[in-house]
Amino acid sequence: MKLLIVNTLPKDCPEALEAVNELMKAVSDVRVINAYEMNISPCIGCNACWLVTPGICSVKDGYEDILKGCIECENVIFLSGTALNFVDHRMKNVIDRLLPLATMYIHIVDGQCRHVPRYNRKYRFGLLYLGEADRDYLNEWLARVALNFGGESMSAVPIAHTREVLPCIL
Amino acid sequence: MHLVIISGAARARERSNTAKIITAFLKGLEENGGSAEIYYLSDRKQWQAAAEAFQSNENILFALPLYVENIPGLMLEFLEGLNPKTKKGTRIAFILQGGFPEGSQSRCCEKYLETLPKLLGCEYAGTLIKGDMFGLSLTEEKQREKMLEPYIEMGRLFCRTSCFDKKTSDAFAAPEYMPESQIRMFNIFGRTVQKIFMGRIAKKMGCRGRLDAKPYEINE
Repeated sequence: MKLLIVNTLPKDCPEALEAVNELMKAVSDVRVINAYEMNISPCIGCNACWLVTPGICSVKDGYEDILKGCIECENVIFLSGTALNFVDHRMKNVIDRLLPLATMYIHIVDGQCRHVPRYNRKYRFGLLYLGEADRDYLNEWLARVALNFGGESMSAVPIAHTREVLPCIL
Repeated sequence: MHLVIISGAARARERSNTAKIITAFLKGLEENGGSAEIYYLSDRKQWQAAAEAFQSNENILFALPLYVENIPGLMLEFLEGLNPKTKKGTRIAFILQGGFPEGSQSRCCEKYLETLPKLLGCEYAGTLIKGDMFGLSLTEEKQREKMLEPYIEMGRLFCRTSCFDKKTSDAFAAPEYMPESQIRMFNIFGRTVQKIFMGRIAKKMGCRGRLDAKPYEINE
């Protein structure tokens, strides 16, 4: 299996380094994208990725690599800082910009509208967070996030408990 | 009442659905004698003034689009920069609009918004939820006015109550789920209707390819 790690903590952050090492020991094919230094911009809501250049984001800041990585690996672990009991804006920007993975078209899944996924993939998203946050809420949120892209959550856990997410990955 | 309205939308004001909703809401608020100052976070030059207005006023309203089950990253960045209030008395209400028609789509975000004011040293004053707003900027003027009319009424009401009570807000958010009959119709005709409708919009916006294109597909 392939695993993409999207790290929005500084790349020399000791907790992030430790988590990445632990994941690399458990999974043979791991790709890491250090997104903190990329300073990913917010989604500007232009709808270009749905209606002008389908599947391609209009904001050119290197985020394309994250999209390509998700499509290639399907299993994605996000490393995030926290703010206001939630992920911080750096991670929320990364998540908001996943939109090109879905098409504009809508279908109904389990009685609710969902966007039709653009690629035939079964994404699995996990979240390791550093800092204070509401773990139950993050789990609920991440499950909904995954649902939006036709995938499933591998759960959200504090970065110090990285081992807890390993059974979900393997 | 005097209200500070902060738009958390990332889209530029002139193309923003949230901005149109704010304008309608303000109309109702002013009709009942209220007043407001408005800040748009899509323009970073307004952030400093918005933060100062947050600190010096007691009635705050954030209007925002639903972005992947929660508040947009841009708005979160602004909130992270605010100093929590130490003096009691400030109330924060929210107007949350989304693209999907069901109210249930906004509940995950609403749950977070219920907790957010306390983290900023404020009290929670309710969330007004409405879906099916994606087409607001794309529809004819008459249809747009019809879609915005309920927000004018909510502006009038808010001027009297300074909050969105749960009962009013739940009624406003309806339907919570699409009725079975509508789902059946959608499953039969939805695909064709969407292809025609969205195809037309895309063409107008300059799209030359398929809306379900896979530009990064890996050919193994």
